[in-house]
Amino acid sequence: MTTNTYLIKEGYDNLKKHGSKTFSTMLIICATMIVLGIFIILLQNVNKNVQTVRNEQGFQAFIDDASTEVETEYIKDNIKIIPGVKDIKYIDKDMAFEDAKSVFKDQEYLLQGLEKVKPFPASFVITFNDINEASAIKSQVEKIDGITKVKYNETTIQAIITISKIANIFLLGIGCIMLIISMFIISNTIKLAVYSNKREIYIMKYIGATNSFIRKPFIVEGAIMGLLSALISFVLISVSYVIIYARLPKIGTSLGIFGFMPYSQLWYQILIIFTIIGLFIGVVGSAISIRKYLKV
Amino acid sequence: MIEFINVSKKYNHDVAALEDINIKIEKGEFVFLVGPSGSGKSTFLKLMVKEDDATTGTVIVNNTNVNKLKEKDIPFLRRKIGFVFQDFRLLYDRTVAENIIFALRVVEASEKDIKFQLKSVLELVGLDGKENCYPNQLSGGEQQRISLARALATRPPIIIADEPTGNLDPKTANEIFKTLLDINARGTTVLVVTHAKDIVDGLNKRVIALDNGKVVRDDARGGYLK
Repeated sequence: MTTNTYLIKEGYDNLKKHGSKTFSTMLIICATMIVLGIFIILLQNVNKNVQTVRNEQGFQAFIDDASTEVETEYIKDNIKIIPGVKDIKYIDKDMAFEDAKSVFKDQEYLLQGLEKVKPFPASFVITFNDINEASAIKSQVEKIDGITKVKYNETTIQAIITISKIANIFLLGIGCIMLIISMFIISNTIKLAVYSNKREIYIMKYIGATNSFIRKPFIVEGAIMGLLSALISFVLISVSYVIIYARLPKIGTSLGIFGFMPYSQLWYQILIIFTIIGLFIGVVGSAISIRKYLKV
Repeated sequence: MIEFINVSKKYNHDVAALEDINIKIEKGEFVFLVGPSGSGKSTFLKLMVKEDDATTGTVIVNNTNVNKLKEKDIPFLRRKIGFVFQDFRLLYDRTVAENIIFALRVVEASEKDIKFQLKSVLELVGLDGKENCYPNQLSGGEQQRISLARALATRPPIIIADEPTGNLDPKTANEIFKTLLDINARGTTVLVVTHAKDIVDGLNKRVIALDNGKVVRDDARGGYLK
C-alpha cells in the first residue's frame, strides 16, 4: 500500500467511523445543494424564456406604397448593412392582407371588399442580435428613404430587459448567500469531526507527520462527503423535476408563453455545478477546519 | 547529540522557565532529567522538539540547529526523536500492531520495512503475540510498551521518555526501564524525565537536576537527590 492509498483509505475509514457526524454534515450539504439547485433551475428557466421572448422580438418597418421593386431591394440592402441586424423578412401587400385576415378571423366582414385594394402596406420584419441595440437600429432604419413608419414595441422590450436583469441579480444574490451560509455551517460541522481527532493529530505531530500527511485523510473525507451529497442532491432534484415536468404542459398552456425547459437541457449543468460545489465545500471546509489543530 | 548553549526561555516578561542552560548529551548516553514540578523539565523537552522556541541561546539536536529550523522541517526533526509519554497517548480504536504501523506510515516506510520493524519492536518490548489486541485489553505496563514500541519503530537515534513510569506499579516500572536500558545498549541516546527516585538511584546513570529553570546539578553518575 503506498502512502497515498493509505491516506485515502484512512479518509474513507474516518467517514465510516464518524457515522452520525458524517450523516448530519451530508444532510446539511444536501439541503443547501437542493435549494441551490432550485435556484439554478429557476434561473435557467427564466433566462431561457427571456431569451425566447427576446429572439421573437423585432420591429416592423413599413415601406412607402409608391416604392418600386428596385427601391424595395435598395431599402432591404440598406437595412441589412446596419450592425446588429440578425434577420430581415419581406412581407408584401398580399401577405400583409393575409395576416390581417388571420387577425380579424372572427370579424372578417371588416375586410370585405378590400381584397382588390389591399390597403395594408408592404413591410420588413427586422430581428436583431441584442435587444439592447434595438433603439439604435430603429433610429437608423427610420432614416432610410422609402420607410414610412417603424412599429416597435418599446415598452415590452424594456420590460423584458428589466425583468431579466432583476431576476438574474436576485437569483444569483440568493445563490451566493446560500453558498456562504452553507460553507459556514459545514466548516463548523467538520470542525467538530476534526476536534474529535485532536488527540490523533497531536500524536501524529509528535511522531513527525507532515501537515499534508495529517490533512489528506480529512480532505479525502470532506471530498467524499461533498461528492456523495452532490450525487444524492442531483438524484433528488432530477427525479422531482422530471415528475413535475410531466405535469407541466397544462400549467404551461394556462400561463401562455412561459414554458419550462426539458430536463435533458438542464441535467448536465446541475451535475457539473453540484460536483464542483460539493468538492469545493468538502475540501475547503475540511482544510479550513483542520488548520488550527496543525500548530503543535 | 543534544546540546543546549546559553538557553533561556521566558513565557512572559518576568518568569523564566529556563535560564542560561548549558548542557551537552553525547550520542549513546543514558541521562535522567530530574527536578520538582515547575522546574523547567517540560520546557526543556518542548524546546528539543520545537514545540516552543528558546528566547535566547542555541538548541542543537542531532546536528540540527533547532532555533533556525523552518516550520516545514519540524516533522523531520521529530522523526529523529522517539517520544514516550506518561499517559501513553495511544489510539484506542486501533490494535497494538496498528498503533505501531501508524508511526511507520507517518515516516512513509515501505511495506517490507513495516513488516520487519513491527515484528522486531514487538519482540524488543515483549509484546509479540499481542499485536491484534486493543490497548484497553492490556495492562498499563503493556500499554506503555506499545508507546515504547511506537517510539522505537522508526529507529530514531534519540528516545525521550517523559515520566514513562508515572502511572505504573514499581515492578512494571522496572521492566520498562530494563527495556530502555536495552535500547540504550544498542546505541540509542535515551533521555528520561522522571520522579522515580528508586530507579534513578539504582541505575547510577548521569543525572541532570533542574530547579527554578536552572541546572542545579549535572552528575556523570548520580542519584535522584544529591
